[in-house]
Amino acid sequence: MDTFYKHKPFFLLVWACWLSVTSVYSQHRVEGTVTATSDGQALIGVNILEKGTSNGTITDIDGSYSITVAGPNAVLEFSYTGFAPQEIAIGGRNRIDLALEEASTLLQQVVVVGYGTQKKSDLTGAVGTVKKEEIERLPVANVEQALQGKVAGVYVAPSSGTPGAGAVIRIRGTGTLNNANPLYVVDGMITYDASFVNPLDVESIEVLKDASAAAIYGSRGANGVIIITTKSGKNREQAVISLNSYYGTQKITKKIDLLNAAQFAELYNEFRGQQYFEDPAALGEGTDWQDEVFRTAPIGNIQLSANGGSEKVSYNISGNYFKQDGIVKNSDFERVTIRVNTEYKLNDWLTIGNNTAYTNSKSQIAPGGVVGGAYRMPPVFAPRDSTGDFSDPTFFGSAIGNPAADLFYKSNNNNEFNRLFGNLYGDVHFLKYFTFRSNFGFDRGEGQSKYFEPVFEVSSSQLNKSDRLSVGSTLSRDWIWEQTLRFEHEIGPHRFSVLGGYTAEERYDEELGGSRENFPGTADELLFLSAGNDTTQQNYGSAIDEALTSYLFRINYALLDRYLLTVSWRTDKSSRFTEPNRTGNFPSFSLGWNLSQEGFVQNLTLVDRLKLRFSYGILGNQASGSAYPSTSAISSGLYAIFGPGEDLNQGATLIAVANSNLKWETSRQTDIGLELGLFKNRLEFEVDWYNRYTYDIIAAVPIPDYVGSQGDPIVNTAEVRNRGWDFTLNWRNAGKFSYNFGATLGLVNNEVLALADGKNEIFAAFLQGEPASHTVVGQPIGSFYGFKVAGIFQNEEELNSLPRLGGEDVGDLRYADLDGNGIIDGDDRTYLGSAIPDVIYSFTAGFDWKGVDFAIDFLGQSGNKVYNAKETFRFGVYNWEQHVYDRWTPENPSQTEPRITNGGTNYRVSDRFLEDGSFFRLRNVVIGYSLPVEWLSKVRISKFRVFLSGTNLWTKQKYSGYSPEFPNGTNPFEVGLDFGGYPVAKSWQGGLELVF
Amino acid sequence: MRTNSLFPKKWLFLFIAVFMAAGCQKDFLERKPKGQLTFDTFFENGEQAQESVNAIYSNFRSWEMCAFPWIGITDIISDDADKGSTPNDAQYVLDLDNFTFDATNQAFQQSWSGNYRTIFRANVAIENIPKVPEMDEKLRARLIGEAKFLRAYCYLRLVQWYGPLPIITRQLNDDEYLTQVRQPVESVYDTIEQDLLDAIADLPEKSEYTSKDLGRATKGAARGILAKLYLVKHDFTNAEKFALEAINSGEYSLLDRYGDNFLPVGENGKESVFEIGAAALQASVAGPGATPYNMIQGVRGVPNLGWGFNRPSDDLVAAYEPGDPRRQATIIYVGEVLPDGATIVEDNPDVLNERYNQKAWVPAHAGLQDNGPGNLRLLRYADILLIAAEALNENGKAADALGYLEQVRKRARGSNNFILPEVTTTDQAELREKIRHERRVELAMEQHRWFDLLRWGIAGEVMRAAGKNFVDAKHELLPLPQSEIDLTGGNLVQNQGY
Repeated sequence: MDTFYKHKPFFLLVWACWLSVTSVYSQHRVEGTVTATSDGQALIGVNILEKGTSNGTITDIDGSYSITVAGPNAVLEFSYTGFAPQEIAIGGRNRIDLALEEASTLLQQVVVVGYGTQKKSDLTGAVGTVKKEEIERLPVANVEQALQGKVAGVYVAPSSGTPGAGAVIRIRGTGTLNNANPLYVVDGMITYDASFVNPLDVESIEVLKDASAAAIYGSRGANGVIIITTKSGKNREQAVISLNSYYGTQKITKKIDLLNAAQFAELYNEFRGQQYFEDPAALGEGTDWQDEVFRTAPIGNIQLSANGGSEKVSYNISGNYFKQDGIVKNSDFERVTIRVNTEYKLNDWLTIGNNTAYTNSKSQIAPGGVVGGAYRMPPVFAPRDSTGDFSDPTFFGSAIGNPAADLFYKSNNNNEFNRLFGNLYGDVHFLKYFTFRSNFGFDRGEGQSKYFEPVFEVSSSQLNKSDRLSVGSTLSRDWIWEQTLRFEHEIGPHRFSVLGGYTAEERYDEELGGSRENFPGTADELLFLSAGNDTTQQNYGSAIDEALTSYLFRINYALLDRYLLTVSWRTDKSSRFTEPNRTGNFPSFSLGWNLSQEGFVQNLTLVDRLKLRFSYGILGNQASGSAYPSTSAISSGLYAIFGPGEDLNQGATLIAVANSNLKWETSRQTDIGLELGLFKNRLEFEVDWYNRYTYDIIAAVPIPDYVGSQGDPIVNTAEVRNRGWDFTLNWRNAGKFSYNFGATLGLVNNEVLALADGKNEIFAAFLQGEPASHTVVGQPIGSFYGFKVAGIFQNEEELNSLPRLGGEDVGDLRYADLDGNGIIDGDDRTYLGSAIPDVIYSFTAGFDWKGVDFAIDFLGQSGNKVYNAKETFRFGVYNWEQHVYDRWTPENPSQTEPRITNGGTNYRVSDRFLEDGSFFRLRNVVIGYSLPVEWLSKVRISKFRVFLSGTNLWTKQKYSGYSPEFPNGTNPFEVGLDFGGYPVAKSWQGGLELVF
Repeated sequence: MRTNSLFPKKWLFLFIAVFMAAGCQKDFLERKPKGQLTFDTFFENGEQAQESVNAIYSNFRSWEMCAFPWIGITDIISDDADKGSTPNDAQYVLDLDNFTFDATNQAFQQSWSGNYRTIFRANVAIENIPKVPEMDEKLRARLIGEAKFLRAYCYLRLVQWYGPLPIITRQLNDDEYLTQVRQPVESVYDTIEQDLLDAIADLPEKSEYTSKDLGRATKGAARGILAKLYLVKHDFTNAEKFALEAINSGEYSLLDRYGDNFLPVGENGKESVFEIGAAALQASVAGPGATPYNMIQGVRGVPNLGWGFNRPSDDLVAAYEPGDPRRQATIIYVGEVLPDGATIVEDNPDVLNERYNQKAWVPAHAGLQDNGPGNLRLLRYADILLIAAEALNENGKAADALGYLEQVRKRARGSNNFILPEVTTTDQAELREKIRHERRVELAMEQHRWFDLLRWGIAGEVMRAAGKNFVDAKHELLPLPQSEIDLTGGNLVQNQGY
């Protein structure tokens, strides 16, 4: 009670206010209990508000309430999360017992689709929805990560473990050889990078998976569309003020098993064939360089938001601060987000509004290559030698730099990025059924980077003779302006919604930068270009732009709520293509049948919902590496030096081939779906079969070097099919003990159907000049390709009699002679596997009971391979992975692990470096506790929750690397190769949620 | 009009919005690359024509054209040099040295693409300069001549390494990228010959260029390379003819001191027939005029001038006649004072028996090692004299050959008459040996040796004597890059033995 007395004045004041409020209006008293229709269980914490006032209460642990209202004609509003709100006129009664209906049973869920919303029951396309409740629970830095494991057929992998990094998302497989990222639409503004969106600002995320849903985005819809809707203000008397915060710690999920110093020295002696290290065993463990590079790092987030409004004005305003230190030393990220979403009903025909987010992020990036350096550094070196200097590892001719020195000298970088993203809109309602909307979306980004490298010398290959400051700035300004006209009407059993529109958009990116050397000091205030020597200055600048105009049209028609039809059409014209290929037309149609509205199904008491869907449509993809793929540009700066004066003579010419005939990449998609709700919709099941057939795929295709092009041309080259199934299963039970189980399963089969004329195969991912990726008809895109290990040459006799490449010695790998011609050559290379998983799945479970909430998410994938590319690069003598210790020696006649070598035939592209990429991961677990509402209501707090959560805490993986989810580029020819980038972390967080 | 109607305002609003949207310009979708000219608006004047040719020279300083992929399959693969550097640095270069390479060795892909990229630039110039609407006609002819010379030079390198080649003399259409096949070496020779004959016709002599343009291709350079082509073809009559034309032009003479050829003082000097200009124009990073040539061969350790690749071999050291001062001018030893007169090379325990290529040494310069300023000396007058001597001897004119040989030896001898005695034999076979020996020591570490061994047909014999596993009927040609075979689906047939 000490606390109470300390704060007595405060409590008394609150109490006094409460009394005064209640006493003034006490005229009519109502009481009752609130239950759920499904099971009759009492509902705790239901909000009850006297309409038009701030007078309210909530139900207690038995579902009972009592409220005193202004008079016998007052109206009560009952609301409860997950249930449909109800308004009840008191009509003089003193007792009102009420059963609330769960929202999901009402088929009234509204789903955001392109350029509008639709009732879920009217939907004819395949749309996956993630609601704010699911997102808010997860302590993730961006919305892309929040999608992981939530929607069937959506594959999410982190693009890097770098703090603040986004994710690579694939919807229903990889449907292109080109950029396969989906399109993001954030509050109506189109972007390809939604990593700036603060997850706590999100109301819902919808994933448009099939042609019917995505076709309205025409040329950008082929890879699927992710619509992110941020929270808008709600009309309520009293603003809801929320505070969300968490703080936690992160570390690396696992370490790679590398040789220790004694083992390394032993193998090095063996490799050199001499006792370079006199007594290897004496070296012991040596340095684990992973410990020098990785660390345990904190992560934290705090958000304050206000949501409210009236009939005329509504608002959602939030401020967020997120900070994440990286698990690699000297890397960190912090971000401030301010969001203002408002809407104004100016009169009965005009509404205007805006959704605007400003983000400021600052980051420090760890020096490139330190993660790889930790993997490669021989453990026989200490980070610093006995004199305290950084040790010089080039002693062995390893061209690698000391990662500890890199971290020390190359970490002075500061990056800042400001982004203003949002939209302004105006809606005009006229002629009763029509709404005209003009929407202007904008996305302006400004980035600054600064990097200073002091003079240092660790070794002849790790040094900087002249200090240098480099600064850079980027500017992007994108806008989109959309005019749409909507007609909505219901005549008898017919319900129409018709949409037509015209849009124009432009994107512009520019960069500018420069550098100088010879600074008078290294203090921060000196690190501006003006302090450097101007004779050493350099600069650069460049820009790209593109534009798109489109017409769009869609009609939704529902008859008797049973028979549903959607037809859409979009015409796009893109600046990326030249006439006559500039225009692309993208039509689609879809049909739906709500069987649950039919008499013969309604008689089945078990079935609450049953719908069949079919859709077919054509989508496009204009994305290609360049904004001007059809234009042959002249490269300049190709200087020649002539004369004793060594004058710089400008050189400029065409250095690469272009393709002026480039046209739209096109994808035909079919989807058949079934939705089923059983047991009062507690069980929900959804299954879709789809077929995405993509043709005229745009991609840069390697051409022979004799063409002389410095860069590969971009062409319409191939046909790819992704066929598969998406399953979603959910069981939800609400009540005193509410719980849920869920599972998603995505099966995808990726197959290349054709390559361009006269082209049988595409090689890519060249490792030391040899392709590791091979794309050929009948196999998945970018399949792994190389030799198969058949064994090891055990003796001279085998070496001389069995097929070989040439250059092998006893103890080296023996590759399989697949064509049986007695020699090993390029023809013996074969398909080794694919980086594309066959199956992606997830499981979720959770419960709420007496204020305790618990949720757990697992996700996994199988059938994919990983090529451990980092192990194959040996430009010097690097450390080896532990398995190499079991190498072949005359005494240890291994058939799998060759003798110790550093390059040569054992390092050719082969299944030696191919590993199983399947994994099963505990993605997230959260346990929370909310204080009982009846305690809180007395201090006007509606929610007080504390929670503990963990991310990536446990993983079952076969892959030897840090994580089977490793940084991957977006080039579909080169996926699944682990070059040893920044690994993802596991983390623990504790947090607090407070709602006033 | 009734004032209380909302319609007029509402319609006005709609009207304005729709018209603003429709007001977009017609050119909204016409976008051009920013900060770059486009091909369809290039080649409009003489200046641009000249820039397109400068861009060809520029590529000779690329990594592919002058670093590992160049040194690796000229000096290091030959008996003149070992890989150098520390034992394990750059395995693929070691594979070249040891004859353990295969078709995936990066050196092949890089040298192949580097030369074909240069050829691409030359093709662009040769095809488009004739279409430039208005320019000085003499300049037009000269620029086309320069481009043809450079194209021929690249093909001569390629044909000696790889044998039959796809001959690309224009920009390919996109349906032709994969369909090229290897043409017989004779066709490649014909292409080179024609380009060089055209170049001789259109190029000025060295003395006709202004000093600002020194380093551009000349009549003399084209004659010299053409003479070399004829040696490769064993057409000694023509080799003699063009070598003598170059000699008799009076444009060239030997520098007094052999070593000056490789110092800044010798750049574009009297003895220079063709060289690619380079300069260290920026302080710390590789500037726009730099080459990696000096860095990769620079002293490794103390002083730290580079990576220490291309170590002059024991075999080369032994090849010099007693007292030949060219040995000292070619090789940097531990303990030696560098030509700057101040720096002493210290022993580096990581580099075994270190020696360095002195001809790639450059004095202190702005920037780091990768900002190499040394011009790439591709053809010296001494080379032309020895070509003349070789051709004359093969044509039965041993007595005439002796004079040219002696010019080279005399300069090397300097004032010391106790060394390098004048060669007097007129026995063809004996003189052939003398000339071959002279070429080796005079041009050592200048990337000529491998080509000489190949055209003399003695590569196998010499390499095996040097302890290398040279396989006859295989190693006379290098393998085509594996990626090239793969990309063409076997349209290009691999060389025998690979």
